[in-house]
Amino acid sequence: MTTDPKFNPIRKGLLEFLILQIISADKVYVADMMKRLQETDFATQEGTLYPLLSKMRREEYVDYEWQESDSGPPRKYYKLTAKGKTQLAEFKDYWAYLNTTINQLGR
Amino acid sequence: MNTVIIINLNGNAFHLEEPGFQSLRAYLERAQAALRDNPDKAEIMADLEQAIADKCAHFLRPHKNVLTAAEIDGVLKEMGPVQSENAADAAASASTSAGNGPNAESKSSGTAASAPKRLYQIREGAMISGVCTGLAAYLNIDVTIVRIAFVVLTLLTTGIWILVYVGMMLAVPFANTGEEYAAAAGAPFNAQEVIDRAKKHYAEFKDSKEWRRHWRQQRREWRRRWHEGAYWWGHNLQRNVQQFSSSAGYGGHLGATLLIPFLAVFNAVLFCACVAAIVSLATTGAIFGWVVAGSIPLWASILILIFFYSMLSQPLRHARRAIYFSTGGHSYYWFAAWYEILSTGVLILVCWFAYTHVPEVRDFFQHFAQNVTTMWNNIVESFHHTATHQPGPGVDARLPAAAAAASASAFLALRT
Repeated sequence: MTTDPKFNPIRKGLLEFLILQIISADKVYVADMMKRLQETDFATQEGTLYPLLSKMRREEYVDYEWQESDSGPPRKYYKLTAKGKTQLAEFKDYWAYLNTTINQLGR
Repeated sequence: MNTVIIINLNGNAFHLEEPGFQSLRAYLERAQAALRDNPDKAEIMADLEQAIADKCAHFLRPHKNVLTAAEIDGVLKEMGPVQSENAADAAASASTSAGNGPNAESKSSGTAASAPKRLYQIREGAMISGVCTGLAAYLNIDVTIVRIAFVVLTLLTTGIWILVYVGMMLAVPFANTGEEYAAAAGAPFNAQEVIDRAKKHYAEFKDSKEWRRHWRQQRREWRRRWHEGAYWWGHNLQRNVQQFSSSAGYGGHLGATLLIPFLAVFNAVLFCACVAAIVSLATTGAIFGWVVAGSIPLWASILILIFFYSMLSQPLRHARRAIYFSTGGHSYYWFAAWYEILSTGVLILVCWFAYTHVPEVRDFFQHFAQNVTTMWNNIVESFHHTATHQPGPGVDARLPAAAAAASASAFLALRT
């Protein structure tokens, strides 16, 4: 939507929570995540995504399991952990709070 | 026609054109470096290789089993630069231009600003070991300036600076991989750079025969000069010592003990005066208010100052050595140590005195970093000025004359 570089830090900070949101619906593998993000303002690349996912796994927000695929080698399917679900809920609350704050400040 | 290289990407074999292989290797090397401190490095690298393999597989058909360099470059662009997740991962800045969008270039320039700089020794273009070339790349200045600075510092510290050089030679690592070369200059590291470097290496290698012959000649010349100089030094010293001990005897011993403090004080004061003069010249363009003839550029006047200093200090140094020897070999170290302690003490005393009693000196030290930058800029500017502008006829005649005078004084200083 916008390419103003000033918004980059915001996008950067939000990416992690958006991934939580994507994973929350269903188990996904990285190419899926990429495809979904591609259509948004948060399109990203493997070079960024893999290190980020490994960090989130280390912090126990997500986990993965291997699943065979019919079109190639087995894939890593990511899913949320309990900790990840809590975090996502907290994030959504916080986001709503931020929205109200921003809207009210202008009045 | 192109050479094809077979590689293994996380368990899949691929045929790549050689330039493509080079860029892929550069990409993976860079990823390795970015993930250096990451505990999951191995796993992420495997993931990345698998992702590259998946992308590469899209380009293969039953009758097309080789990946071209352009295809590999496209894949790598799509992958995007690997960033360690906590260090400035410009995730979202990349997101605006994901895929192989046209702003892909702006991304790499974004990383350029934050590319870490590290000090390496660079063998390419090195005179001795590559310390100076590495420093020049690190400081982003011309290597000649670094070399001149080293020589000047060696002269000023009467050779002690050489130890710094040797220390750096032993301690500073060599730049070997392309990534290290990039880190040395703080430049962004990408596949194209590796390719360019490889091309350059090849061109150099082609006429390396001539280059090697030249190098051998140079080395022979250096060795010859070194031997000559060493012989001359030893010879001269011996003569001095003989003169001293025969004329002085025990009195010489006593005289030496009294003479050394005097020499120490004189030398320290001289050194301080020289440094102060250079600083004053570089910051205000005049030596303690005395304006130097306008046609002599700043760097040249500084060089001349240094030559004057060494002209004065060299005879002193010789006298000192002679005294050491005249007192007999066994107390040599004792005298040397005493001299060093004394002159250091005097140096500190003079600095302290200047700091407390001369407001200009105090000002200088209170804004030290800023002043040094100004000085440096002034010198570099004067250097560039002389290098780029053709001097007028009057100056034209004076410059070589100044250079000749400088070299003559250097010669004299060494011969004393």
